[in-house]
Amino acid sequence: MPATPAAIAEPVIQTRQVRKTFAAVGGHDRCVALAGVDLDVTQSEVVVIIGPSGSGKSTLLRTLNGLETVDSGTITVAGRKVTDQRTDLPALRADVGMVFQHFNLFLHKTALENVALPQRIVRGRSRSQAEEIAMSFLKRVGVDDRRDHYPSQLSGGQQQRVAIARALAMHPQVMLFDEATSALDPEMVGGILDLMRELASEGMTMAVVTHEMGFARDVADRVIFMDGGGIVEQGAPEELFDGARNARTRQFLSQIH
Amino acid sequence: MTFLEPVADWIVGVYNFRIVALYADEFARGITNTLLAAGASLALSLILGTLLAALRLSSNRLLSALAEIYIQVIRSTPLLLQIYIVYFALPLLVPATARWPELWIGILALTLHTAPYMAEIIRSGIQSVARGQIEGALAVGMTFRQRAQHIVLPQAFANIMPALLGQTAILVKDTSLLSLITVFDLVAAGMLLNSERIKPNEGFLSVAVIYFAIYLLLLLASRFVERKLAGPAWNKATA
Repeated sequence: MPATPAAIAEPVIQTRQVRKTFAAVGGHDRCVALAGVDLDVTQSEVVVIIGPSGSGKSTLLRTLNGLETVDSGTITVAGRKVTDQRTDLPALRADVGMVFQHFNLFLHKTALENVALPQRIVRGRSRSQAEEIAMSFLKRVGVDDRRDHYPSQLSGGQQQRVAIARALAMHPQVMLFDEATSALDPEMVGGILDLMRELASEGMTMAVVTHEMGFARDVADRVIFMDGGGIVEQGAPEELFDGARNARTRQFLSQIH
Repeated sequence: MTFLEPVADWIVGVYNFRIVALYADEFARGITNTLLAAGASLALSLILGTLLAALRLSSNRLLSALAEIYIQVIRSTPLLLQIYIVYFALPLLVPATARWPELWIGILALTLHTAPYMAEIIRSGIQSVARGQIEGALAVGMTFRQRAQHIVLPQAFANIMPALLGQTAILVKDTSLLSLITVFDLVAAGMLLNSERIKPNEGFLSVAVIYFAIYLLLLLASRFVERKLAGPAWNKATA
């Protein structure tokens, strides 16, 4: 265990020896997606996970709220054991906000309904209360003037803003970002990153999978480099970006810059 | 005006609406029974069809196989035969049904017949809902039931409205077979007029026009329901 003061408090996310394999396409072998991952994220920490595609970073993120199952190991998030069969996963997920690459807004609902509906049916809030909260978050992410638009009538950047508002309106204890800017037009990326930066500065606990190295450098408390289903190297951004010890890390970073 | 007289005579000769008006009560009864049979069978077959679709998609092999066998048995036998089996054989199996009105028997037979077709349409609709929609619902903490009720089924039904309209149109027309087990439906009303007056146009053309009008109403209703389920932008979203 690291001896930093932050680690003394109960971590918001803790994984121990998480392994996952899946059947290879057309083959007999099983691909290793996660090869025994230990990860701790403490309160208000912003952890950015980088790595080549297929390194397992998205898979790791998706195991944290049980969207992916694991073969072995333990995961504890927001005080609940995700890997325990008896855990109420919907209740856990309500406390864990997730933002996807492709937004995953409900296509048959307006922006306002997207943000209000989960509050109503999962949190049990009244319609008026849910809509009031929804409007305050839509305003905060800058799309309150699009409240009655359907996702198909919004740009990618606007859809992602609504998706972030939908997650925040549940008042999550931790936010997971799974390549939140990868599907956006370049001119939309900056605005979403600014929003994430703002959230981080307000003390939100965040686990972020991204290819935006500038964001990782500026915002992350800790950067984790993953390859081959495992954590290869981690550290403060300047440590990792300017003084990577591992050859694979250095090679990856040289390809990116 | 004299040149119009032969035209008017010809029209009355081909289609004498005065005779049709004499049978207004019979046509009203026929429309009522046709709409009752179609409406009740539609509602029941959508419920049973959704259940069958859920069974077909179930990970339980036995339930899935049972649903599939039922669907194939119904699809491979004629509707008229199914109606006769329910009409003549059911009272032997379940004596209480012997006192049922013919209309109830007809609704039961049409429901048992239509549900498998609805099930296959609904199954394709459920499978058409994008994985991302389900993940979005999972991620905010919705339970299976909440996902089904608020996300998957509304989108599934919006996607399949054209196919459901087609199957419903077939169901409406299939109600005409109930006249063979003495339900006084639209076709029975047309038959009565024709057999009493020997006026096939007044009898059967009127019935055809009424069926067409019912179809137009269904078309409007399907567009309305699609909007209700998925909003006005739905076609743009899926196009």
